[in-house]
Amino acid sequence: MNNKTAAAVLKGDARKSGRVRVPESAALLFFLALEIVFFTFNSPYFLTWPNWVNIFTAMSITGILAAGGTILLIGGQFDLSVGSGMAFVALMFALAAQAFGIAPAVFVALLTGLGIGCLNGFLVTVVGVNALITTLGTLAIFRGLTLSIGGASSVRVNGFDWAIMRPLFDIPLSAALFVVIAVIVGCLLAFSVFGRTIYAIGANDTAARLVGIRTRTTLFIAFLGSGLCMALTGLVSASQLGSTSGTTGMGLELAVVTAIILGGTTLKGGVGSMFGTVIGLLIVGVLNNGMTLMNINSTWQQVAAGALLIMAVSFDQLRQRFLGR
Amino acid sequence: MSMMPQTPENGTDVPFLSVRGITKSFGPIEVLHGVDLDLAAGTVTALLGENGAGKSTFVRIIAGDHTHDSGQIIIDRQPLAIRSVTQARDAGIRLIAQELADAPTLTVAENISLGELPARFGLVSRGEMKRRARQALEDLGADIPLDARVSSLRLGERQIIEIARASIGAARCMIFDEPTAALSDAETRRLFDLIARMKAKGTAILYITHRLDEVFEIADRVCVLRDGRVSLNADPATVTQPEVVTAMVGHAVESNRDAYRYDRADEKPMLAARGFSGRGFSDVDLTVAAGEIVGLYGKIGSGVPEFAASLFGAGNRQGGTLEINGKTENFRHPAEAIAAGVGFLPAERKSEGLLGPRSSAENLAAPSWGRLSRIGAIFRNDETRAFSRWHDPLKIRSSRDGGEMITTLSGGNQQKVLIGRWLESGAKLLLLVEPTRGVDVGAREEIYHVLRELARSGHGILIASSDYEDITQVATRALVMVRGRIVRALPQEEISVARLTEVAGGGTDEQ
Repeated sequence: MNNKTAAAVLKGDARKSGRVRVPESAALLFFLALEIVFFTFNSPYFLTWPNWVNIFTAMSITGILAAGGTILLIGGQFDLSVGSGMAFVALMFALAAQAFGIAPAVFVALLTGLGIGCLNGFLVTVVGVNALITTLGTLAIFRGLTLSIGGASSVRVNGFDWAIMRPLFDIPLSAALFVVIAVIVGCLLAFSVFGRTIYAIGANDTAARLVGIRTRTTLFIAFLGSGLCMALTGLVSASQLGSTSGTTGMGLELAVVTAIILGGTTLKGGVGSMFGTVIGLLIVGVLNNGMTLMNINSTWQQVAAGALLIMAVSFDQLRQRFLGR
Repeated sequence: MSMMPQTPENGTDVPFLSVRGITKSFGPIEVLHGVDLDLAAGTVTALLGENGAGKSTFVRIIAGDHTHDSGQIIIDRQPLAIRSVTQARDAGIRLIAQELADAPTLTVAENISLGELPARFGLVSRGEMKRRARQALEDLGADIPLDARVSSLRLGERQIIEIARASIGAARCMIFDEPTAALSDAETRRLFDLIARMKAKGTAILYITHRLDEVFEIADRVCVLRDGRVSLNADPATVTQPEVVTAMVGHAVESNRDAYRYDRADEKPMLAARGFSGRGFSDVDLTVAAGEIVGLYGKIGSGVPEFAASLFGAGNRQGGTLEINGKTENFRHPAEAIAAGVGFLPAERKSEGLLGPRSSAENLAAPSWGRLSRIGAIFRNDETRAFSRWHDPLKIRSSRDGGEMITTLSGGNQQKVLIGRWLESGAKLLLLVEPTRGVDVGAREEIYHVLRELARSGHGILIASSDYEDITQVATRALVMVRGRIVRALPQEEISVARLTEVAGGGTDEQ
């Protein structure tokens, strides 16, 4: 862990001077490399193609949600409703599939996801409720709706197994979808005017408004984006499991936020990148995978993930205190 | 390195507080290279210096907010290693910081007693608290309701509350860090009265300012910091204003009179506002023509920045009509004003202007992103090119590609980037609020020069400012606003410091 402090310090230094262009995520990459080296020595199976496909498949749902979440957090906003939103989408999809068939059900799923994003966006940007409180509220609402509409048992979905198909290189489509979305969001943030406005709003929303950015509209779109991600993950989840239940996606919001913050996006907004988020996802994903391979109980994996999050944020604070003003 | 006074001119022979050879580094950068200073009881020492000279760092060391790396602090002949704010307070040192450090959600009385609540058996004695607060405010001649929440007050009133808080109890050394920046003239006068009373009681006072007139009015000693060293330490009676300025900037500032006059009275106005009313101002008429620099002068609280923001569609407006280039406009969002070719420099650089964690180039390109992009895509190179277009003309001291975070630039250079923002966007009409606030002397002259050049090239400029120097230096016509109304228009020949302050109702600021 000490290595990470040192590396985090270096990272901050490079950013400040602006001359030496060490990638901002150098510290995280270094930490990820440490994990990989450690698990390679502890498990012969770790560094194989099927295992890495597993790692990416395992993080595809978290990853897709984190893509939408990264845009929001860079813009200084939050979405905690992603886990229950996804479960609600999956339930709506499953019910619609039973009633009207798969194709209309996909449409229903997309509408449901966008609807949740629309509701969050409306409450935050039009009514003006704090995003944390809004999405805590919608988290509870959609979890409750999922449980009461779906009942205690799970709802089956038949004939919808695209996410586990492996057409190319033995990669399941769910993992491929995650990679595609990560690339799209990464490019959007780095090379588009929309991305620039998101960074500007997160950096200082008053200043952003005064340079002519329609801050509310932009944030509303970002919430819609998060809703779209819920819709996609709802479809992935329903397809992967072949069913959906009231407890689908419980606690997912924590995993999403952990990955984003580990990846260097600050809670204040204005900095961060999709690349960082992917590294954050990998740090958690590789840790879980490696611990599973080493036969460490999955409950301990939660302890490790929580500890990682706190450490990452503490390091960031320490770095700012010692180097920043 | 420094010239020490042999004996302080009034007060005792032994100063209350002496510092010797104070150094301080932040990371690899040493900001103070051995500062010596004596503060005698019952004297006022003015501390001057450009931004970044180390003034604030120095006073924060004395107040225990920062710790020094080497050197000595001697209080009452006893060396004292000040390691915390509490320690400094116990030694009788009080700092009134430049940035407000109040608790906005608490009441005025609570704020004044903050840190030293009068308590009995652990319970706050509210009566005693109010009595103390009332007394402290009366001493300052301020009429502020004790039960008001501090967040509901004006900036100047909040500053007074900070001063009132520091004046409670037995302060033996008071440090004021640019206290008058947010105060009205009348408030400034009362502050000076308070300082005189404290001085008579034997308090040592260190007064940081950038206003030379104040120095010559109240200081017994003037001390200038430049690049972390003492560059002047003298009796104000023995030095002139230009000498002090030279000590601040390191070279003589040629009082720049590349005078710009505007005399095309027949020109159609670029901007014509009629009967503008809103929160803080009412029934304001104002026109700006191409090539004209209109100075709108008003003290803090006069409604000047609110009015300027409303022209840009960023503030609230309840009535009035606006014409831009002869076309009636009703801006509801700054984006519409920008599209009509208007640029706006807000008053509070940090909270309203800067995109803090982003690069200088990104900050400069922000309003032009749409134009610089191709089908929605924009690359770092596009921004770098935009930045390098303005790097030289505006004399921005930064890397050529503007890749560093904007907050690493000095205040003056940040301001140049924010002006460059609107030149890149192609705005022809510039609304500049407090264009030189927090900008040091050298950069100030450069900004004035840029503004004159812009006017020569046909830009219409409105300078809305509470700093009379902005108006006297560049304006070709001045309007004075008092309590939200324009009370006087002055042609260029009549613009002078004395005239402006007189019309603004503040009495004379000059000696």
